[in-house]
Amino acid sequence: MSSDLPPPSTNLPEDEGLPRRSFLRFAGYTAFGWIATATGLTLLESPINTLFEPINQRVEAMIFNPQRLIPEFPLTAIEPDKLIVNSFRLTPILDPITFRLEITGAVANPVSLSLQEIQRFPKVSMVIRHVCVEGWAAIVQWGGVRLADLLQLAQLKPTARYVYFESADGYFGSWDLASATHPQTLLAYEKNGSPLPVENGAPLRLASPLKLGYKQSKWVTRIVITEDFLRAQNNQLMKGYWEDLGYEWYAGL
Amino acid sequence: MTAIAKVKSTQGRSPLTLAAKVFHWVNVGSLFIMIASGLQIYNANPVFGGRAGWHFPFVGLLGGWLAGGRHWHFAGMWLFSLNLLWYGVYILATRRWRHRYVGANDLKALQLSKNPKRRIYAWHRVVYTAIVPVLLLALLSGIGMYKPAQFDWIVNLFGDWFALRVVHFLTVPAVLIFTWVHSLLALKAGGDRLIQAMVPWPLSKS
Repeated sequence: MSSDLPPPSTNLPEDEGLPRRSFLRFAGYTAFGWIATATGLTLLESPINTLFEPINQRVEAMIFNPQRLIPEFPLTAIEPDKLIVNSFRLTPILDPITFRLEITGAVANPVSLSLQEIQRFPKVSMVIRHVCVEGWAAIVQWGGVRLADLLQLAQLKPTARYVYFESADGYFGSWDLASATHPQTLLAYEKNGSPLPVENGAPLRLASPLKLGYKQSKWVTRIVITEDFLRAQNNQLMKGYWEDLGYEWYAGL
Repeated sequence: MTAIAKVKSTQGRSPLTLAAKVFHWVNVGSLFIMIASGLQIYNANPVFGGRAGWHFPFVGLLGGWLAGGRHWHFAGMWLFSLNLLWYGVYILATRRWRHRYVGANDLKALQLSKNPKRRIYAWHRVVYTAIVPVLLLALLSGIGMYKPAQFDWIVNLFGDWFALRVVHFLTVPAVLIFTWVHSLLALKAGGDRLIQAMVPWPLSKS
């Protein structure tokens, strides 16, 4: 290693070993500085999000074109083994016979639909990439109804801005209206050509190429249209389970 | 500032503009944020082996948890990319790209020159030029992973999702190895003077 090092520079004749020693010292400072800075800045993860998330969200909404269809994949591209089941609490078993989906809130015509009624809407099949916030992705086929079709039935009020999804396990999330009414945002009852398995959200779940996986609620039983974000009794914003813990709300892909 | 003035007085003029120094150190700082938070994100689902794969020890990671790592990563991306952008415009507008990066004369020197100093200088220029496409690759693959639906062509360019993740991840060891080699070569090629010209505080104790 020492043979790689430069000869001592002429302007420091009194200190022959300086280059190597200073280099090692520099490496030591770097390692210490790295750990100290990373630890310190970790404490600022929440303020840095408060500062930058509005900017990121504006850019995300700007590059999202509600008219553009996200390119889909051929059926042969499906990766059945790659879709990992993530659940925050438990797996609710819902009876498909008694199941109702309620659509309420800022709508002119609140509805409550059975699975049979939902399945009478035109069925849409799409093969898309499902991307998890953790970093993995899977190409999945989803079959179901366009959320936009159901919302049209409920007749959104002009003031409608957000769409809340409530799940049977207590999970909840909210979407911007433009993403929720995109033609590739489905309420799915089919996965990879078979009826939707319970662990993937049966009888009805959100499926869309537009958002990260944690936005795609499973076991959806109630949709609430709002004009603003909901607040808890202590006035805390309620944007969604993971969102309220600190994850991004828009989470666009 | 006094250090720069000292170099100027001994050499006539500084070999490095203030712009190059600002770019260099903002780049170092933003790469630290991107790498330290990127490895925090990596741990949520290791590229190699998934959840069962090897995880980075938490020491030196930035963010504390997945959301925290993402917050820093998607704040640092602006610092990193805008710094690259203004510097790119600067070297194009001032035509510095013509002589600041490796050229035919350096490649010729590597083949023919018997002068070890000339050869080391040529290697130095080869190495710091080579990091430019790595940084651009990190940015491109990063945009592909951040917005795979809007920029599906980027994912397709790399093949599939796994290939995209591997390339994005490999820019980390590439940058770290570069940092090591680049520091050594800078010391060899330019000695204390070059280092002093780049570092804004006085290094020498004498």
